[in-house]
Amino acid sequence: MTSAPASTPPADLVLSARDISRRFGYRRVLNTVSLELYRGQVLLLVGANGAGKTTLLRVLAGLLRPSQGTVTRSAAVGLVAHDAMLYDALSAYENLAFFQRLHGGKDPARIRALLDQVGLADRADDRVGTFSRGMVQRVAIARALLAEPTLLLLDEPLTGLDERTTRIVLDVLTGLRDAGTAMMVVSHQPTDFLGVATHIARISKGGLAVPEPFTTASTTAPLTYDGA
Amino acid sequence: MPSVSRAALAIAGKDIAIEWRTKTAIISGLVFAILVLAILYFSRDPTEVSDLAIAPGTLWVTFTFAAMLGLNRAFLLERERRAMDGLLLTPAPRSAIFWGKFLGNLMFVGTIEAVSLPLFVLFYNVPLWDKLPQLILVIAMATIAFVAVGTLLSAMVVRTRHAELMLPLLLLPFLVPPLVGGVQLTASLLNNRPLSEVWGWLKLIGAFDIAFVTVAALLFEVILDE
Repeated sequence: MTSAPASTPPADLVLSARDISRRFGYRRVLNTVSLELYRGQVLLLVGANGAGKTTLLRVLAGLLRPSQGTVTRSAAVGLVAHDAMLYDALSAYENLAFFQRLHGGKDPARIRALLDQVGLADRADDRVGTFSRGMVQRVAIARALLAEPTLLLLDEPLTGLDERTTRIVLDVLTGLRDAGTAMMVVSHQPTDFLGVATHIARISKGGLAVPEPFTTASTTAPLTYDGA
Repeated sequence: MPSVSRAALAIAGKDIAIEWRTKTAIISGLVFAILVLAILYFSRDPTEVSDLAIAPGTLWVTFTFAAMLGLNRAFLLERERRAMDGLLLTPAPRSAIFWGKFLGNLMFVGTIEAVSLPLFVLFYNVPLWDKLPQLILVIAMATIAFVAVGTLLSAMVVRTRHAELMLPLLLLPFLVPPLVGGVQLTASLLNNRPLSEVWGWLKLIGAFDIAFVTVAALLFEVILDE
């Protein structure tokens, strides 16, 4: 469990998961995971392939129902997953406008501002199907930010990005953290998140270790742990 | 949170915009419709089988299978890049996804029907114009039934490996009553028989419309729940 600073009021709690487990058939993918996340905290979640990272994120986002346990979110959730959740035949602007309508809004200026924030203002009217992997990822991040979420879940957000795009994404995440957005980031590359992440937790065989503050030393620790 | 109607219109509008740009399903559906009309027309012996004898069945076979191409496409769109997850993450009511897809599918099937019907009249030389309003009513009623159940089933099969194959297998048994009704009513109209003869079929299609739309709308959220 991510422990909140003593001065942090409970109102800053944005995510609380209690003893969540998730099975697919007979296979248990998550095993009584509990955690709390507060405003401005960025929890880096690391673990080997198949450890349960993506499943945990999908459960926390509400896309998967836990087999046991409860998840409480006190805020709107944004999710950046492996897949961009976008339509290739629509432009970047049209994709965001569509999802904004489903959030109950209609604010072209906000869409333009988000595209500008992720460095795609000049490609707003181009179809997503013509974009590179990095550009698609940036549109996906803009989509996740549409509803101004106070909780952002990101699954390998830097995969396949070049150095410049990585810098843009990390700058966006840093800005969000400083503005109080809580984040949970799944990554195989902890070093990428030095300066962004505040805590790190390891997941192994569906079990989550107690999160600890993220320091330079955290980046050299093994991705797995034996406590599952 | 947007209302069901507003979210449904946004989803239907998005589907129509994508189809307008890609034209993948509409072109396949129209080519298929023209081929079926032509092949069935030239496959019969006109000295033994009259146009009017074969026309009602031809019309409904054309509509049904051409429409199935669009029904399959509706949720495949959401599978690419897992866009369905994006829909589920919004606060829009889940029922809006059903109604949006239903409206989008109705537009698609309606377009196929609107283009196929004049071709049908041309090929089969059927005296249709004075009965056009009644025929449109029959087509609309049968279409609502099969689009409702088709929308539900396409959401069910989209996550299976052979979604394109599964949909017709599951859908066709449900379509038998409204399609038989559609064929009977069309035959009656084309042969100038009184509507009272087939009044029962019209009521049956109406009952299927109410049942299919209600059950599909209610079950849709259960299907979305993983």
